Amino acid sequence: MSESSVAIARPTGAVGTRGPLRRLWLRNALQGWGFILPNFVGFALLTMVPVVTLFYYAFTSWNAFGKAKFTGVENFVRMWNDGSFWTALWNTVYYTAFHIPLTLVVSLGLALLLNRRIRGLAFFRTAAFFPYITSIVAIAVVWNTLFSPDYGPINQFLRAIGIDNPPGWTASATWSMPAVIIVGTWREMGYYMLLFLAGLQTVPRELYEAARVDGANRWQQFWGVTLPMLRPTTFFVTVMLTIGSFKVFDLILVMTEGGPGQSTLVLSQYIYQKGFYENDFGYASAVSIVLFAICIAVTVIQFLYNKRKDA
Amino acid sequence: MRRFPLMMATAAVTFALALSSCGGGESSGDGSEATGTLTLAGWSLASTPEFQTLADAFNATDPKYKVEVKEYQDGNNYDTQMVADLAAGTAPDIYVQKNLKNFYTYQDGEQLLDVSDVATELSDETGGLDAYEVDGKTWAIPYRQDAWVIFYNKDLFAKAGVAEPDGTWTWDDYVTAAEQLTAALGADGAQGAYQHSWQSVVQGFALAQTPGADLLSGDFSYLTPYYERSLALADAGAMPDYGTVTTNKLTYQAQFGKQKAALLPMGTWYIATLIAQQASGDADAFEWGIAPAPQYDESTTGTDNVPVTFADPTGLGINPALDEDKVQTAKDFLAFAAGPDGAKAMAGIGITPALTSDDVVDTFFATDGAPTDELSKFAFSTHEVKPENPVSEHTAAIQNLLNETHSAILSKSVTVDEGIADAEQRAQDEVLNK
Repeated sequence: MSESSVAIARPTGAVGTRGPLRRLWLRNALQGWGFILPNFVGFALLTMVPVVTLFYYAFTSWNAFGKAKFTGVENFVRMWNDGSFWTALWNTVYYTAFHIPLTLVVSLGLALLLNRRIRGLAFFRTAAFFPYITSIVAIAVVWNTLFSPDYGPINQFLRAIGIDNPPGWTASATWSMPAVIIVGTWREMGYYMLLFLAGLQTVPRELYEAARVDGANRWQQFWGVTLPMLRPTTFFVTVMLTIGSFKVFDLILVMTEGGPGQSTLVLSQYIYQKGFYENDFGYASAVSIVLFAICIAVTVIQFLYNKRKDA
Repeated sequence: MRRFPLMMATAAVTFALALSSCGGGESSGDGSEATGTLTLAGWSLASTPEFQTLADAFNATDPKYKVEVKEYQDGNNYDTQMVADLAAGTAPDIYVQKNLKNFYTYQDGEQLLDVSDVATELSDETGGLDAYEVDGKTWAIPYRQDAWVIFYNKDLFAKAGVAEPDGTWTWDDYVTAAEQLTAALGADGAQGAYQHSWQSVVQGFALAQTPGADLLSGDFSYLTPYYERSLALADAGAMPDYGTVTTNKLTYQAQFGKQKAALLPMGTWYIATLIAQQASGDADAFEWGIAPAPQYDESTTGTDNVPVTFADPTGLGINPALDEDKVQTAKDFLAFAAGPDGAKAMAGIGITPALTSDDVVDTFFATDGAPTDELSKFAFSTHEVKPENPVSEHTAAIQNLLNETHSAILSKSVTVDEGIADAEQRAQDEVLNK
């Protein structure tokens, strides 16, 4: 949207000159609006209005029927004293803190691996992308079976290599989060690999040649050329991953439903629970505002950091 | 748009509400009057014939307005969708109270019409009627009242040489039988029992049977013996443990229907499924029966007593937004559904009606494939059914919290005592004193 408004704004400088120029500007502007209108109307009705009302409902007590009762900051005070909210927040941070670096490393590794000329390249790239387009429900069922503590192939393998007490994975409060992180990483690595692959294509070959002439080995080339040149891509991937991790929902809902106990209860699921199971929409709105604020804050910090690096 | 899809949805509902309140008022009345129908909400119509059956039977009595079924989604989505439609003013005239957990939301939200006059006309035998009473008025009418019983595989009992249930079981007898069965059947890959992963299987019985147990008291010590027995059964290998059930997505229909378990605590809704699955071949062919739920102690066991069990009734409520004109027909439909004719229609398709007269029991057990022994008939018709979800503003929140306790204890993430202490603390902090 911002791009179109820039494009429209530019000819306005010529407004003073009247006549055909002005008509041209008008036509351009109408055309521009014509193009964005369908999307903008949808956005305004289905996203903007609900988001704005959400900010109001966060300060009310509302059970979906009748009028919402204004309660001031009561929801936020309640949140402060709500142990489950803190558990959910902590679990969200836990997921994010491991999911982001793991996915970054794995997807970059895959991209580097699949950026060479090898036999069956297309096949491997497709295979790595496959989890991303597979139904999340199917993923959950298959991985849960793989993770089955007694009969699952993963633990059978672990036992075969001499680990007598393999983890209980999704059936254990200690291991359920690692299990979910593993599946989350596996699911998304293909998508981010694709972004990294696109980034790698833009690195000029001459830089590698120059590095080679200077006697840099592969490792030095990676650190000295590839990584710095990939920085815009890495930044974008990190921001997307951060937002994605904070709002992780579907994966956890279908894999563990937040359990066992509250071991994998994350914020978005907590919001869902409060809103749709307990019909406590006011409180759910308040929690989602906090989640929104966290996402914004972390993203702004990342932008500032990136800007400083650019300077 | 991608950040908060859920709250968006909620807010979108609100928005829809605002839109519909502008123009919906006048037009809806004229439009539906012309077609002359009353709409009834139902879910998964293809696999849940009860709504159409009730509507057809009622329409055959030539009412002023014909009842037409409107399909909703299954599971938890039913209530989510219904809340949205009620808020938006597009809900059907009559809608089902799927369980008691959400009844409070509808009643407190003024989404139910007072149907006390229908209730007073009903037989005293109608189960579950009290559950819908708030402030001395009745807000919904039960047409269906399931009850949790024990399903058992007679062939497996005979093979193992273990005495079949005779109606005198306490839970200790159940555990003993399950262990004996496992010892005798283990070689064939069958286990003594199967308890599904739902919290109801443990908590429902504990709440209904333990003297003085109260969900809303915040004291959950009544759960302890029930959890200890469940853990012991799994430890002894007499039933699959919780992790196996959840990670392998085991279903009770397959476990019992394919003879992997000889005993299954389950609701009476499974009778119709089991009969159908045996007929279609989805389940093995074997002799089975139902027995009363094992009891807390001997004071309620035996066929000369009334065994205590639990389940929520399924009720019909009227949307207060319906046309004035249609109110009487809607009430007639509720009375019909909960009355003897509705009950017989339900029994004929294997559904447990709220009204269980001798006539109804005969209809029910006349179905091809139904068990014919006396104990099954006793278990089906004689019991005190307590609600799983006593109606209150705190019920949904406490049940959600106890569901987390359930998975924490059964996955052995915490001990029984730790889990219950934590649940009591959280109930105080987050629900009762919030």
